[in-house]
Amino acid sequence: MGRIQFDHLTKQFGETVAVEDLTFDIEDSEFLVLVGPSGCGKSTTLRMLAGLETPTSGDLYIADEHMNYRVPQNRDIAMVFQDYALYPHMTIRENIRFGLEEEPGYTEAERDERVEDVAETLGIDDLLDRKPGELSGGQQQRVALGRAIVRDPEVFLMDEPLANLDAKLRTQMRTELQRLQEELDVTTVYVTHNQTEAMTMGDRIAVLNDGRLQQVGEPLELYHAPENQFVAGFIGEPMMNFLHGDRSEEGFVGEYIEYPFDERLERAVGDAADLVLGIRPEAIDVRHAGESASQSLGPHEFRMTVTVTETHGDQNVVTLTHAEDEASHDTIRAVTDGMHIVNAGESVIVTVEPDAVHVFDGETGEALCNRRLETARELTI
Amino acid sequence: MTTHDTTETTESAVDPSEEGIDWQTKLRYFLNSDFVRSSPYWGIPFIIMGIAVYGGIGYNLAISFTDYAGIARPSFSSLDLEMYRRALADESFRAAAFQNFVLLVGFTSISLGLGLFLAVLLDYGIRYKETIQTIYLLPMALSFVVTAQLWLWMYSPGNGVLNIFVTALGFDSIDWLGDPRIALAAVIFALVWQFSGYAMVVFLAGLQSLPDDQFEAAKVDGASTTKTYVRIIVPQLKQASVGAAVVLMLFALKAFDFLYAITGNYRPPNGTDILATLMVREAFQYGQWAYGAAIATMLLLLSLAVIAPYLIFQHRQGSL
Repeated sequence: MGRIQFDHLTKQFGETVAVEDLTFDIEDSEFLVLVGPSGCGKSTTLRMLAGLETPTSGDLYIADEHMNYRVPQNRDIAMVFQDYALYPHMTIRENIRFGLEEEPGYTEAERDERVEDVAETLGIDDLLDRKPGELSGGQQQRVALGRAIVRDPEVFLMDEPLANLDAKLRTQMRTELQRLQEELDVTTVYVTHNQTEAMTMGDRIAVLNDGRLQQVGEPLELYHAPENQFVAGFIGEPMMNFLHGDRSEEGFVGEYIEYPFDERLERAVGDAADLVLGIRPEAIDVRHAGESASQSLGPHEFRMTVTVTETHGDQNVVTLTHAEDEASHDTIRAVTDGMHIVNAGESVIVTVEPDAVHVFDGETGEALCNRRLETARELTI
Repeated sequence: MTTHDTTETTESAVDPSEEGIDWQTKLRYFLNSDFVRSSPYWGIPFIIMGIAVYGGIGYNLAISFTDYAGIARPSFSSLDLEMYRRALADESFRAAAFQNFVLLVGFTSISLGLGLFLAVLLDYGIRYKETIQTIYLLPMALSFVVTAQLWLWMYSPGNGVLNIFVTALGFDSIDWLGDPRIALAAVIFALVWQFSGYAMVVFLAGLQSLPDDQFEAAKVDGASTTKTYVRIIVPQLKQASVGAAVVLMLFALKAFDFLYAITGNYRPPNGTDILATLMVREAFQYGQWAYGAAIATMLLLLSLAVIAPYLIFQHRQGSL
């Protein structure tokens, strides 16, 4: 029904390529999040789906029907805009009803009833006779949703719908949106630049950069098995640490550290020369160096200095530099347990298990090896 | 003792309204008040406006109650409403008032309608907006006198451009300004030519201030272009329309210079006499000062009647 297919879809504005050769499918009743930095082409993709832009080349299918040149009203879609785009001179009732007026198959009374029903679902039935200007941001957001839901479309398109809400309301609306989508069982394409929204809401995530699709997959797949360095860096907060260096006999040599590879890494990396080591902040174990400064370190242990500690309560984000060159800007960030406090200036010993290391090709950014997930651990994630 | 005295003075300085303060302290407080200290800023315009505008209006009103005519000095000994009664009974006054009304309604509504139409067309997507905008606004840069002269040539019964077209199509040439039945329409047309560009610019500014997603939301909602404009866009131009309408109506009420320039004397073409021309003619041609003043007062009341709804509208919107 609401299956969406992109087939080599490309959009150019003059010389600028906004979206390049996009090919992937969105399954029926799936919640897909399109995510990427600003200017990556995610909004353009959504607008092509909505029929507000015409693709330069390639094909676009909704419910197996070719959509390239079809006007928005014949696509059976509904869109929620970032600024809500409510009509300020109309009451909430008229706003929600407006989209329904062009839908065939309703009598006037049925239309009124449908508006009431939708308003009730969203908890805005007591606001129906007010104007948008009298509503709070969260209420306007609900009206915008109501306007989309009332038409009972095949596909919902959402363009950063939560961007204008404050943090607390955003979290609340995030949950509510997911509940609604599940209830209505409608294919949803959700655009955002916020990786937290992407991770928490999407059934699957499509990461775009510079108009190109980087990877499509389930949130944890993107998190643990990114296909390239961009996806690895974009998904996850705090961001994955990247160390640039070269291949050596034992493994990896960076400016300050040498990291010997185990058999698994050795095999995966092969003879690629230019390497980037990727380590998630939570995969770094930090422990106090203790008295004996000269104690011998294991092959995957390093002595480092804490420069900044950010306490979050449940966890601490620790910024570390190399012990011998504290002025260096080449820092890595680690996440420690909330009760495990290390202070700025303290000398610590850092352990990075080879199983938790990602290796990327320094030239292409392609992932050569992703972290290893034990089956048992995979289940508990 | 000395200490006690000091305390007392301090207390009275804290509360100036307390009884028993000497007049010097009161004066000092008065001179230091915001009202006095800000007076140089509002006082000068207040005095100039008071004398030049409201003084003039007041004197005009006073004159209108007298029988002032000719070169004698006005006598304020007997004040009555005779001039107003005379005006209301006068056939030419009623004709002028009626024509003024037609001009007001016709000119304003046509200019607004045409302006809105042009603005919507431009906004809908003709490129190089800036240039085109200027083309339509250009007539506004001309003075009334130039417009009048231009249209006088256009309307010329012998070799005017319009008559060349009319005769080329096989009709008899028309005396546009000489025929009382069509003279008013011809005047309205010329004024519309001059002012529709203004209305367009006001509407265009209103249209361009609307965010794109209003159009896009309507498009996704399935509304046709016509429906989008009629239901979504134009209703949001209420503020702009009211503003433009007031300006145009005030122009219509005092379109004296245009009509004066068409003939070069105090009598405009037959059928186009309005209150402003009648007033000037009565006063400055015939020396009927009191009568002219009475017409002027009624014209002022009409103008106020036009502005009042606008002010009320603004007040309701909370911008006044």
